[in-house]
Amino acid sequence: MHELSLALEVIGLAQREAGKNGVSAIQEILIEVGDLSGVEADSFQWGLEMLVKGTILEDAVVNIIRTPGKGKCIGCNIEFEMKTRLDVCPECQCFPSGITGGKEFRVVSMLAE
Amino acid sequence: MCDTCGCGNPDEFKIHDHNHDHDHDHSHSHDHQHDHDHGHHHDHNPEHGHEPTHTHEHLPKKVISLNMDILSENNRLAERNRGWFEGKHVLCLNMVSSPGSGKTSILEKTIHSLISTWKIFVIEGDQQTTRDADRIEKSGAPAIQINTGSGCHLDAKMISLSLKKLEISDHSILFIENVGNLVCPAMFDLGEQKRVVVISVTEGDDKPLKYPYMFQTSNLCIINKTDLLPYVDFSVETAVKYARQLNPNLEFIQMSSKTGEGMAEWYDWLGKQF
Repeated sequence: MHELSLALEVIGLAQREAGKNGVSAIQEILIEVGDLSGVEADSFQWGLEMLVKGTILEDAVVNIIRTPGKGKCIGCNIEFEMKTRLDVCPECQCFPSGITGGKEFRVVSMLAE
Repeated sequence: MCDTCGCGNPDEFKIHDHNHDHDHDHSHSHDHQHDHDHGHHHDHNPEHGHEPTHTHEHLPKKVISLNMDILSENNRLAERNRGWFEGKHVLCLNMVSSPGSGKTSILEKTIHSLISTWKIFVIEGDQQTTRDADRIEKSGAPAIQINTGSGCHLDAKMISLSLKKLEISDHSILFIENVGNLVCPAMFDLGEQKRVVVISVTEGDDKPLKYPYMFQTSNLCIINKTDLLPYVDFSVETAVKYARQLNPNLEFIQMSSKTGEGMAEWYDWLGKQF
């Protein structure tokens, strides 16, 4: 969803933080995308690479790490891995009471000269 | 998928107020927003943003540790909106749905019925035209139209700018009618107290399974156009079952804004939110 506008958010964030740190070019940016974040990582990376020309991220390598989704079972209360928001508990087949992991969507760090 | 719908220009949107002026004064209003945010997890001195405690200037490479939520700026503005609503005792509801589910008709009927009891304001979000805001104003409530251009959702900044123009009274209800889209608006907190997802019986009863994010982040689900149930293959029971699997706390109201079925229950629900 809306990966282009999210990519623009990343560029703005990178420029602000680079300015604060007194760097003019970023070599590498590390971004965490949770499996249940609602962000299509491939589309987002493609969008970001398309938009970086002329920005501080133009020559940056974009590294994306994925965080697996997790939910807490409403039936037996265990935490289980979720690949999609429709996954059920492997023990009792109940749905989760809530998502407990995989919603992350953040810039972890940047590497600069 | 919005990555193909071209919603990549956040400054493209326009706000139409009653006088249709100031259409273009919003694009740079973020100039004085603070650089820090509250979505990160590391300790830092707020006076110094997110700089590491030491900068390694003597090293050829520099690692800038951030751990910053990419939507942190939107979330910060959303929290500011929420605080503004609480301070003014305004109930703000974010109405989301597919296009054509009947959101505007529900609001028209609601305004007709409640305008003598409550002060009601509406922010309308659509890609183009002021048609919905015009309909709402004819119903008797002040409305402002946000045109998102090629964008597919409202965000907290658009709401913040609209609030300044709408002159919302204390102790009132603000309905935000989001862009008809069950995907992108799910991700953007606007600062609302409650999110209301509307589906109509002319859509499939498996819609909650197809768009789980929206149903998981909503508080109330209105199943609209129930007067058409005899003519369509829509099982209310199935739709409720699927939605509750995804969100056990979701409430439901079956409604026909055409016949008035369920409207009293909706008004009761609104009253309980204060």
